[in-house]
Amino acid sequence: MKMSIRIIKKGISDRIIDAGRYGFQHLGIQPSGPMDFLSAQLANTILDNDLNQPVFELHFPASIFEFEETMLICICGANFVPVINDKSITLNTPIQVNPKDQLSFLQPIEGRSCYLGFKGKLDESKKWLNSFSSFQTTLNKGDHFVIHKVAEIDISINPFKQHTIQQVQKNVFNEHEIRFIPGPAWNDLAPASIQLLMQEPFRIDAKSNRMGFLFNGPAIHLSAPKDYLSSAVTMGTLQLLPNGQIIVLMADHQTIGGYANLGQIILVDLPRLAQLNNQCPFKLSIINVQTAHQLYRSIQSWFKH
Amino acid sequence: MQSQRPTFQIQLLGDHAIVYKSNAGQLKGIDQDLLAFTQFVTDEKIHGIKDIILAYDTLTLVYDILHFDSNPFLFANTILEQFNASKKCLNAMENKSIIEIPVCYDASLGIDLQNAIKASNCSIDELIQQHSDKIYTVYCLGFLPGFAYMGDVPNAIQLPRHPSPRSKVLAGSVGIAGRQTGIYPSTSPGGWQIIGRTPIKIFDPTSTSLTLFKAGDQIKFKPIDLASFHTLNAHEDVD
Repeated sequence: MKMSIRIIKKGISDRIIDAGRYGFQHLGIQPSGPMDFLSAQLANTILDNDLNQPVFELHFPASIFEFEETMLICICGANFVPVINDKSITLNTPIQVNPKDQLSFLQPIEGRSCYLGFKGKLDESKKWLNSFSSFQTTLNKGDHFVIHKVAEIDISINPFKQHTIQQVQKNVFNEHEIRFIPGPAWNDLAPASIQLLMQEPFRIDAKSNRMGFLFNGPAIHLSAPKDYLSSAVTMGTLQLLPNGQIIVLMADHQTIGGYANLGQIILVDLPRLAQLNNQCPFKLSIINVQTAHQLYRSIQSWFKH
Repeated sequence: MQSQRPTFQIQLLGDHAIVYKSNAGQLKGIDQDLLAFTQFVTDEKIHGIKDIILAYDTLTLVYDILHFDSNPFLFANTILEQFNASKKCLNAMENKSIIEIPVCYDASLGIDLQNAIKASNCSIDELIQQHSDKIYTVYCLGFLPGFAYMGDVPNAIQLPRHPSPRSKVLAGSVGIAGRQTGIYPSTSPGGWQIIGRTPIKIFDPTSTSLTLFKAGDQIKFKPIDLASFHTLNAHEDVD
């Protein structure tokens, strides 16, 4: 049986995402995965979906959705005060919607990226190069998503899911440390700039988007001007712009970059950075790759049954 | 006889990518060892390697942390050792053919052509000859899907980028930026000096190959006239 979701009103920058489109970066095609993979996976966990099933990623002001059949949805990540037909609904919990129900979002309370998961399988026609992730497009009014119904067993919040929710919430919203592994241009920094980077708080600039987050903070400089040959970059790469500002590349980053590569924010901390509001100060700290890998592996236990 | 086995500098790109950097020094095309190694890693289809990105003097492998349980320097070395032990490494690129791209250097398409001849102090014919005589190396793809950064443009016709980018450059436009030349695969904003346009599609999201080029390819431009351009034109967006 088919179900469907329709976009009634266009949001500022909403899209469908899954784990991302890998295997094509050598052609200049970026992965376009989630800004906050933990909240996206949480929505799927709560709905007993495969972890990396496609979900909608929303930014405020977000789209308005209409459901054409009865189905289960779940909203995770940023709190934009979701309402169904003007009645508020809870985050991180399975919600049943009925035909003609409309889902809208009233105001951004906390976080930047909100995830709307649904029970069922998105029609394969939306897939391109092994991924459902929107490619250089956003959701538009009238867009229509066909979803194939799957067998529903009892989808409720059991103690395991309760634990997953707590762990994801804590990791994404309750801590402000952003850890990175120094990169090839780290040693080209002026010593005074290294001190500033490690001691001063930074904030995310209002001009930030899915391509990159600009940092507001002290100006950072190299010991001497230097040209770098372009090389591959990934989500989390910290680049130093010629004006002394830092940009960290996010989910829609270009595949190669030629600015000074100062380092790389670890995967585990990217969801936290992705959800930080502009007024929220954060500090950078250094971590080694072994610890980063341990942290990433420990996350897997939150999601495995 | 023992042949010289290549060594690369291994660097980390954070916690989910490793970088092999060529020791070849002065960049003249792409290091043949690095090209051969790229081909090896691509052919091996190593489980857990998500992307293989060659650019100038580096090869970057994006990996899934869960598939590798050792220190990344160790498994980076293991992959390199496997390459060195394999027979198929060196001279893999010997028979590489040159991809010929037709370009119409008419001033109606090469919208910066007048500016370019003024800046480089030569005639249109000289500029066309300089640009199209050379065999270029694709150093990397990026900026847009299928956008190939090629070099090196002869000194006499190197042009700086526009101080602020144009809001719309048509797909197929051929541009110069410093030592580099390239073709816009899709219509987009862009700051390169446009000297011509190719009638063929550089990036097609519906084709299986997607793009015409990959890093390491050799390219030569072939001048065509405006009538041929219109005959061959595969772009949908021409007025």
